[in-house]
Amino acid sequence: MHAYYLARKDWKRSILLIKCQVVQKVASESDNESAGTKRKKAKAEESWGDWQVEDDLMMDTEKEDFKSRLAPDVTPNRQLPWLTGIELLSDTNQNKHFLPTGLEGIDALLGGGLRQGQVTEIVGPSSSGKTQVCLSSATHVVDRNFGMVLYLDTSNSFSPFRISCFVNQLHPSLPKELKETSLQTIMSNIYCQSVFDIFALLDLLHHVETTLKHTVKLGGSKLCLLIVDSVSSVIAPVIGGKNSQGWCMMASVGVLLKRIAYEHNIAVLVTNHMVGGENGTLKPALGESWKGIPHIRLLLSHGFRSYCQFCDWQLK
Amino acid sequence: MEISNLPISPSIRSKLLSKGYTSLSSLSSISPSFLAQELSVKLEEAVEVLRAVSDTTTSKSAHIPNGIIPGAVTAWDMLSEEQMQRHISTGCEDLDAILGGGIHCKEVTEVGGVPGIGKTQLGIQLAVNVQIPVEYGGLGGKAVYIDTEGSFMAERAYQIAEGCIYDILDKFPSNSREFLSCKERLQVNNFLAGIFYFRICSYTEQIAVINYLENFLTEHGDVKLVIIDSVTFHFRQDFDDLAQRTRVLGGLSLRLMKLSKMFNLAVVLLNQVTTKFTDGSFQLTLALGDSWSHSCTNRIILHWNGNERCAYIEKSPSVASASAPYLVTGKGIRGINSNFKRARIM
Repeated sequence: MHAYYLARKDWKRSILLIKCQVVQKVASESDNESAGTKRKKAKAEESWGDWQVEDDLMMDTEKEDFKSRLAPDVTPNRQLPWLTGIELLSDTNQNKHFLPTGLEGIDALLGGGLRQGQVTEIVGPSSSGKTQVCLSSATHVVDRNFGMVLYLDTSNSFSPFRISCFVNQLHPSLPKELKETSLQTIMSNIYCQSVFDIFALLDLLHHVETTLKHTVKLGGSKLCLLIVDSVSSVIAPVIGGKNSQGWCMMASVGVLLKRIAYEHNIAVLVTNHMVGGENGTLKPALGESWKGIPHIRLLLSHGFRSYCQFCDWQLK
Repeated sequence: MEISNLPISPSIRSKLLSKGYTSLSSLSSISPSFLAQELSVKLEEAVEVLRAVSDTTTSKSAHIPNGIIPGAVTAWDMLSEEQMQRHISTGCEDLDAILGGGIHCKEVTEVGGVPGIGKTQLGIQLAVNVQIPVEYGGLGGKAVYIDTEGSFMAERAYQIAEGCIYDILDKFPSNSREFLSCKERLQVNNFLAGIFYFRICSYTEQIAVINYLENFLTEHGDVKLVIIDSVTFHFRQDFDDLAQRTRVLGGLSLRLMKLSKMFNLAVVLLNQVTTKFTDGSFQLTLALGDSWSHSCTNRIILHWNGNERCAYIEKSPSVASASAPYLVTGKGIRGINSNFKRARIM
């Protein structure tokens, strides 16, 4: 039950479930009947009313005893804020900006661009332009001074030359010296790291999370866009087969990405590739379990390319 | 980010783990007195534990004042590195031009085509061209040639090396003194000695040699090119479980990517073609499936254009798709114009 809830989209809910489980454990130890009946009520209704359980705990006469025995996650200073719909909407309008990808069609489809706090996925067959979308987004986001970009690259496709081409297209009318300085400023804010297996990826993401918690206190230029290109090349070799640990690792990566996006107001962009499905059609890789993790999924495709024409010549 | 990595005594560590504190984040907001009570240890020991936690977390972020993670490089530094990087010439000027100078180091390039188009010839040409000394515009490195089909012929490599040296001496007149010392190194035997050859007879050997390459490359630091000819051969016939094949190949390609990045060399994989049934018709595509097509950085397809051999760049993050004709001559891979030039001089 624990693992099932962890795989669901809402991280908040899973923390509430952990709290419920902890309460059950502590209540059974203390042999307190009032808490026991309240606990049973909460469990039977399966309500996500963390407020309900906490409320009861606060009003409980033995609350000091309880609080001291609860795990740190449940103490009030770690409680996540409980917002109304109006507050969420105003927070979304003020804080969750759209980061431009630099490609008008894609920005229009996404309603403005990559949304902060959400995970966007780009799927497409080989050489359909996924890496180009990532490079373009990185350039445009830094150009408009949203913050820093971290690019995790699994196939050595990060091309600084291509980024410099995008930068040169941005402001064609600038004089040469200003172009040089703007190129340096923009490219100094894009960080690239190569990742070649899933353990390194998990390690890096944990590290990013810890560093972000500390950077919030220090200030300075903040991370605003995290790109993982491509997440499927590190996950695909471990899923499938007899053991199910690969699927757990995939779920951990997904949950980590979403948590980083939500808690630190970052847009996350991942790319995925396509595999053969039924009747020769292509479908996105990583299966149905991964499907629920990104908030938005974009499918890129390309029409018949000229190499198909050369294939026709072969068959003639 | 684990408790097990903290520099604390084993008894305290086991107490922490038994109470359920497995990650550093769970210890980040606890007061020392609470922790001391929880673990039933002295207050000083709890303070020490929390200090170790904060040291570990701040030390990792203090290493790089501006960066997010250790090892991350800015794009600006990578650009300056990239501009100083030399590329491996293929022998054909048109093909070099569309590739942006030649085969890039730190990238995995896949070359595929129908049988008889010249894949092995291109492989041997690259193995020779990577050894061109730095003074003549090459990389001056050695090559590792992993042969799965048995199509590497030492006599042909001798011929290609001879042709390469002849063209270098033709292009650079050997009057100046600085070239005289290099000229002694331009011997065909030296070129052949610079190719490390592995003959592979099964897919397990192929996986083993790629695992072994890391040690080999640490010993031989001047290797600048790894060619696998061809990566498909053993995976087409012996594998029953296609899903397992995809997983194994995925792991293989990640390891090759890591090698190319770590040792700053180019990896060239030669691939075969197969027919695929899509949209109601049969088409020729590269073998090993859709997942494999995502595992390389660049892809070049060699095909026939009438009576001419042509190379088409299908996938590249930094150059546009383009096509260039080439010839397979007695001296190796050459461009279309070079032959005509030679005819006019004579």
